[in-house]
Amino acid sequence: MKPEVDKILETTAMQLLTQIAPELPPGYTQGSAGLIGILLGFCANEYENGADLRASENAELRNLLAELEAAVEDVRLRVKLGAVMGERDASLKISDLNYSNAQLKKLLIEVQTYLEARNDDQAKLARREIWAVLKASAKQRLVKLPGM
Amino acid sequence: MSDDISPRLAAYMAKMLGIPAVEIDSLSRISGGASRETYRFAARYYRDGRAYDRRLILRRDPPASLIDTERSAEFRAYKAFHKLGVPVPEPLVLELDNGPLDRPFFIMEEIQNCTVASVIQPDPYGALAPKIGHQFFSTLGRIAKADPDKIGLSDFEGARENAWKHEVERWEREIDEDEREPQPIARAAIRWLKRNPPPPAQKVSVVHGDYRSGNFLYDAEGNIRAILDWEMAHIGDPLEDLGWALDPLWSHFNPERPAGLVSREHAITFWEQASGLKAEPRALFWWEIFASLKGLAIWISAAREYGDGRNSDPVNLFSGWYCLTFHNKVLADRLSAVGA
Repeated sequence: MKPEVDKILETTAMQLLTQIAPELPPGYTQGSAGLIGILLGFCANEYENGADLRASENAELRNLLAELEAAVEDVRLRVKLGAVMGERDASLKISDLNYSNAQLKKLLIEVQTYLEARNDDQAKLARREIWAVLKASAKQRLVKLPGM
Repeated sequence: MSDDISPRLAAYMAKMLGIPAVEIDSLSRISGGASRETYRFAARYYRDGRAYDRRLILRRDPPASLIDTERSAEFRAYKAFHKLGVPVPEPLVLELDNGPLDRPFFIMEEIQNCTVASVIQPDPYGALAPKIGHQFFSTLGRIAKADPDKIGLSDFEGARENAWKHEVERWEREIDEDEREPQPIARAAIRWLKRNPPPPAQKVSVVHGDYRSGNFLYDAEGNIRAILDWEMAHIGDPLEDLGWALDPLWSHFNPERPAGLVSREHAITFWEQASGLKAEPRALFWWEIFASLKGLAIWISAAREYGDGRNSDPVNLFSGWYCLTFHNKVLADRLSAVGA
């Protein structure tokens, strides 16, 4: 569809922020209208980038978890980590990507907790690798405010 | 909605004042967070032959509350600190019965001709920042210095021993109950906080619970006229409030000036001078990590409220989206830097 949905949302957001909200009585209604405008801007960005962000993050998480297998001695956990590289996202629908993302993050929490109980160099290195991925993910997912 | 409330509010006030009638005028909802509905109104009445025209604020529970807060705590905190001379609005009436306005509420005086900064506004204080900053952190020091037992708040929720543990567990429970997707950064923060407990609290204090830029009123001369939003007030370690006040989310995008007001060094000095306490760096760092974790827990709850349709206030969605990603980044940066 043209215009694309993100363009429609951006235009609507700007109308709310610059034309409609200022005409409303000051207070909760005006503040809420402005906030809804900002939220529509977030939605526009999510429409354009949401699938790519999740697919890329899932690939990063799978790579990380596969690499972490070498640092893990717990057999049960190793099996789980070993299986990760063979998995794929069911589709590029946001719901499918979110499902994979949640499964991967659950496993990441488990392996990070396991590694924090150890103090050897291999575990420390693995923990640093996990934080590098978490930092990158947090930066990618950070929502930008309009004009910032 | 506002129109529905006016006649019932008028009847309630008339009954409370023991007079035949009160006229309620200009009732309008104002921004005041998602955990209470806040309304401004004028109340006009005659009593003992004298005419009154009072500007008041109504704070009412929403249909679903963002966080489970003790309803009377906010009112009692206002009362206690108003007596102590801390700038707060004078609290007037607390009503816990659902009958009069469907949900519990309280009424307090309106502080007029003041401004409250928006958290997403860059540099809201301008040239007034140094003056406001001194008051902001000194007032927090005065709150920390107060003895809960002497101001009638000894029974407040919280812990006198191991307050850090009580608070971490409290907010961990919020995340357990409300998360809709795994939160690896929040979970790592909780584990780090438990593995690295802070030194014991220097004293037991009333913790405001949400002391930050955006939660106080100031006038055109740069005087802080009211510290607001005491709904999360509790007993605990006074460093909890300082850690929250210094959190980057409230810095108005200026990492050099906590709360968008003064340098970190000045902020801590003002607090220490007013409280008579020390902000030992290791302890303060712990409470700053805790602050961001507590933020995450609140934002996760906000997203849940919105997603479940219990409270569709857009501030909930904004919190559950922007603030959540902000605090995830703060915690990831800080915890990775200390080799968590």
